[in-house]
Amino acid sequence: MNVNWQMVAFAFLTGVTLYSAFRVVTTPNVTHAALYLAVAFVGIAGYYLLLGAEFLAAVQVLVYAGAVMTVMVFAIMLSGMSDIRGQRLSLFKQLTSPYWGIFPFLIAAALVGTILAAYSRSPLPAGDGRTASLADLGKALLSTYLVPFEVASVLLLAAMVGAIILSRREGEN
Amino acid sequence: MPLSAFVTVSAVLFGMGLYGALRRTNAITILMCIELMLNAVNINMIAFSRHLSPDPVRGQAFAVFIMTLAAAEVSVGLAIMLAIARRRRAVDVNEVNTLKG
Repeated sequence: MNVNWQMVAFAFLTGVTLYSAFRVVTTPNVTHAALYLAVAFVGIAGYYLLLGAEFLAAVQVLVYAGAVMTVMVFAIMLSGMSDIRGQRLSLFKQLTSPYWGIFPFLIAAALVGTILAAYSRSPLPAGDGRTASLADLGKALLSTYLVPFEVASVLLLAAMVGAIILSRREGEN
Repeated sequence: MPLSAFVTVSAVLFGMGLYGALRRTNAITILMCIELMLNAVNINMIAFSRHLSPDPVRGQAFAVFIMTLAAAEVSVGLAIMLAIARRRRAVDVNEVNTLKG
């Protein structure tokens, strides 16, 4: 019995992630899209685990599946959208709709096709699968990437202040 | 797992996100599709840094920065969207055309 469990895990993750991503893109209901997006984020965290980036997998679950999804669900609830269910359109009708019609699909398909054709033409080297420990990552962030790290923290502060100001009701002090 | 498996999944995920960002008209859904695209890029970063980069930390550090940017982007984007929704009761990007010439 010789099962490659990494392969099994990869196939499972691929199925879950791509199906969820497909539903995010196609489902008319915004709330469903948000919940499927959370599933896709957890699947992507699984990819990070397979790639040996445990810290990033944990951050992915905390930041994306936790914080970003919470903010999105709150935004959906607070926006008081009249058509939260959206209109259900068949795939055929979406592709032939007067609004851009088939062009988004063509652009995306051309991009993916070009990338995959390039990969198949010049096969990627196998590589040796080195992995960086959390200690390495921490050292790099506070030495090599110190300036981008500080800029990122200032950016987060600016985004926080901006979000508070933008979402404040007018006429409040 | 070979590197090509990860980059293939990442390319398909990016394509889906791109299609959604172009096709959907709901502002929240467009933000979600942009998040999908950023995540696809992150998979690429980590896969390449594990297999090809001489310094495996580099890709992970970039992934951390992309996550930071995505979080900032989503918070500001949703705040703008809430401000629009408060005035118009709609988050359809086709109806937000005040700046259209």
